[in-house]
Amino acid sequence: MIQFKHIRSRIAFTFLTVVIAIQLAGLVPLKYALVKHANRLAEEQMEVGERVFVNLLQHNTQSLKQATQVLAADYAFREAVATNDAETIASALESYQGRIHAQVAYFVSQDEAMVIGTQESESAISGSAAHQEFVQAIIENQTGTLKFELVDGKPYQLIAVPVKAPEVIGWVVMGFAVDNRLAAQIKQLTHLDVTFVQKTHQHDWALVTGTANHELSNLLVKTVSDVYAQKLSLHKVDLDGITYHLKIRSLHETKDEALLVVLQGSVEPYLQDLNTLFKVMIFLTLLGVVIFAALIWYVSRKTTEPIATLVKNADDIAMGNYDKPIQVTSTDEIGLLATALNSMREAVLQRSLRIQRLAFNDELTGLSNRLAFTQGVHQAMLAHAQSNAKLSILVINIHRFKPINQTLGRDFGDDLLRHVGQVLKQHVLSEQDMVARLDADEFAVLLQHADQAQATRFADAIQQVFEQPVQVQGQAIDVQAGMGIALYPEHGMDEESLLNHAETALQESRLKKTPWIVYNTSLEIDQSETLTLISDLKEAIQQNQLLLYIQPKVDVSTRRALGGEALIRWVHPQKGMIFPDQFIPFAEQTGIISDLTQWMLRRACEALADFKKQGLHISLAVNLSTRDLNNMELPQQIADLLAAHGLTTKSLKLEITEGSLMQDPERAEIVVRKLAAMGLHLAIDDFGTGYSSLAYLRQLPVQELKIDRSFVMFMDKNAGDASIVKSTIDLAHNLGLIVVAEGIENELVLNQLAKLGCNEGQGYFIGKPMPEKDFSIWLERWQGQNDIDIDIGDDFNYAVNPLDIEPAPQDPYTLDNLN
Amino acid sequence: MRFLSRPLLGAGLWLLCLGLSAHAAEVTLTVTDAAGRLVTDAVVAFYDKKTPAISPAPGKIVQKNKMFNPKVTVIQTGTKVNFPNEDTVRHHVYSFSPAKKFELKLYSGVPTDPVLFDQAGLVTLGCNIHDSMVGYIYVVDTPFFVKTDDQGKAMIKLSDGQYSYQAWLPGQNKPGTEQKVNIEGAATELKIALP
Repeated sequence: MIQFKHIRSRIAFTFLTVVIAIQLAGLVPLKYALVKHANRLAEEQMEVGERVFVNLLQHNTQSLKQATQVLAADYAFREAVATNDAETIASALESYQGRIHAQVAYFVSQDEAMVIGTQESESAISGSAAHQEFVQAIIENQTGTLKFELVDGKPYQLIAVPVKAPEVIGWVVMGFAVDNRLAAQIKQLTHLDVTFVQKTHQHDWALVTGTANHELSNLLVKTVSDVYAQKLSLHKVDLDGITYHLKIRSLHETKDEALLVVLQGSVEPYLQDLNTLFKVMIFLTLLGVVIFAALIWYVSRKTTEPIATLVKNADDIAMGNYDKPIQVTSTDEIGLLATALNSMREAVLQRSLRIQRLAFNDELTGLSNRLAFTQGVHQAMLAHAQSNAKLSILVINIHRFKPINQTLGRDFGDDLLRHVGQVLKQHVLSEQDMVARLDADEFAVLLQHADQAQATRFADAIQQVFEQPVQVQGQAIDVQAGMGIALYPEHGMDEESLLNHAETALQESRLKKTPWIVYNTSLEIDQSETLTLISDLKEAIQQNQLLLYIQPKVDVSTRRALGGEALIRWVHPQKGMIFPDQFIPFAEQTGIISDLTQWMLRRACEALADFKKQGLHISLAVNLSTRDLNNMELPQQIADLLAAHGLTTKSLKLEITEGSLMQDPERAEIVVRKLAAMGLHLAIDDFGTGYSSLAYLRQLPVQELKIDRSFVMFMDKNAGDASIVKSTIDLAHNLGLIVVAEGIENELVLNQLAKLGCNEGQGYFIGKPMPEKDFSIWLERWQGQNDIDIDIGDDFNYAVNPLDIEPAPQDPYTLDNLN
Repeated sequence: MRFLSRPLLGAGLWLLCLGLSAHAAEVTLTVTDAAGRLVTDAVVAFYDKKTPAISPAPGKIVQKNKMFNPKVTVIQTGTKVNFPNEDTVRHHVYSFSPAKKFELKLYSGVPTDPVLFDQAGLVTLGCNIHDSMVGYIYVVDTPFFVKTDDQGKAMIKLSDGQYSYQAWLPGQNKPGTEQKVNIEGAATELKIALP
């Protein structure tokens, strides 16, 4: 199948093919019929010509015969004959010969005694055999009809008429030579060329006379001789591309003599006429094709032009030009198509606007999204590159958003985010400033023309707003936000690096628990170090670079030492002592925390076994991470460790944070219940920082609640903190839980806690985290200071939290990485 | 070639009757052609050399129904023949024969003068008006001649004696060769076969 670029080409091709095919289908048979007709006409002409020829000869004979008869019947002539008056006879013959244009005229007496010829006839009868031949001819031709005879090698048409007196006394013979005159006469009447060909006993076939040209005559002589020899009936002969139809008729035939007449007609004249007709037909056909092609071109153009216009319109739409509506000019299919294209254009326009909105807008808050923000920053940078002005970028994160979302519901979380967005928008410095929501609980603000001072002022303003509880859905909620600030051009020349640096600063603010931090390059180094540390950490576990530290824990009211919280320290070969806050968060993320927990459990058991040998029956508390709580093997592993070191379940305590329980509560609960079933003492760590519902905690098999140090540290100065601690203690006691306070930094607080009924406590005032071997030294000193006996019994509850970091910064991370 | 006799047939018969008284014989003739067929109007003339010439009686040939009647006539030399026209149309009787060339220009009724045939030979008669009219007169130099009937037979009475005879077939220019015959007794039968 032929491929067409245009429909109109296809239409034109199809129709023209049909037209030409029809014309050809007509022309071919027409040509065939015309040729056939021409041949038939030529043949008919031959037939007619032959009949005319025969008629002519008969007529000639008849008229010649009558003329001759006149002479033969003339009384005077007869008298001359009867009286043998040769002179008179000869003159009479001459006179008649002239009258009828005969070439030969003579008289033969009946007894053949007298032969008298005219002078002209002498040559005809002067040949050796002439006389006899004539006599023979006459004897054979008693009827007096037409006779062709060869006399002395020349053909004659002979008429013999008897002279009667009244009996036949002689013959008058008139002879007409077969010559040009006869041929011309035949041709004039028949419109056919005529050729006389003869054969005599002296000569082979030869031309007598004819009207055809020399070449054709020669060919005819040859043809005739062949035909005669083979007794064929040839009807056609070709010469110079022209076909001649032939009619051959024998005029005289004896043993070795023959006279033939050949009538030739050519089909050529008819063919020429018909060819002219045919050419006219072809011309008309071509003319028709041209006219038809023009019509097809015009019509198909009229048809396809609107399509081409629509194609252009569609191209425009494809290029994104939706604004110009397509003109609908007709009501036919094209018009319908145009209307459909218009609807499509409308729909595409609407959709693209919506996509644009989605691409650059945060649907929840109506703020810009990350993409729009980076573009905004990019454009601002372009604008500021010339004016040398400054830009500030702030990245703001809401602390503990996930638990809020989980606890108070997604709707609440969404409203909170919208509220935060509003707050940010209200505090921007100018109209051009941009507020965007980058991620779940992360916002970004672009401050135009703002230097570091203005940026920090903005951050302080935001911080102040969030110092007051935020009203969402009629509930007041405390929101803490961390902010990272990056400045252009100091902290980056492109939007990506600016944003990254602001994020780095934000992370730093989380770590440092400060409201905001302005980016500086040292943060960058820390972070890269952290990354290196992660890779080193596995090695550290194997190569025993980790140390077990113990922070002591005492009974608040009796000040008796109960045990401690097992803590971890890393002595890096190059970097020296590394505190947990630098690697625990990442260990949690990467899963190495499980290895650390295993290490801690093993080391704690070893230490307990040592203390037991020394006669110290204390307990150590080990912190469990989220991953540990999801490890279903953990209870069995702990049981194996205890058994291996000859310890009871009472010497080991386990601390879990609210957050670690929340990630996969079902799984965690199974593990927790197994541990409790084994008789292990479980404590909720950092209570107050999460959003765990007490109702939920109550269902868990925990025995202890550790109040976060942030409530305890300043409770001697802050009445609010003190009241929180008091109510927490009361609540916990009501639930039958032992309460442990963290962060006791002076004796005042210790005493205050004692008054509030807090069961146990730990903190710098009691003892900083110390190497395992220093614990017995501290124990002696503490007992000396507080004047108490060392009597560590089974009924004392020790809580030793190895991962209790000071300050404990991992909480936000833990929460952030719940996913 | 010999044209012997002149007398007409009727005169011959008469002479034969005369001779019958003195030892006359009756001769029956049949003439056949080359194919053996009996020929009508064949003429046979007998010559005896001694019979003297006598003046024969005149004869006539009538033209009736555009025909010469009789068509064949035998006469002795010196006979005068008239050509009465009994048709309503006129005739132009002629002869180009060497024995007698004559012409009776257009006439009707009986011509005033008969034509004298004084030379032996065959005279072919024609009519210049009517080509189909052909007649023959055999002029013989003897009173003894006879013409066969439509049976191809003829009968003649001749006195005994030596004769020579010649036969003509109609349409032939020349008579047959001369033959000898001896007539004796009462009846003789003569068969003549012409080539």
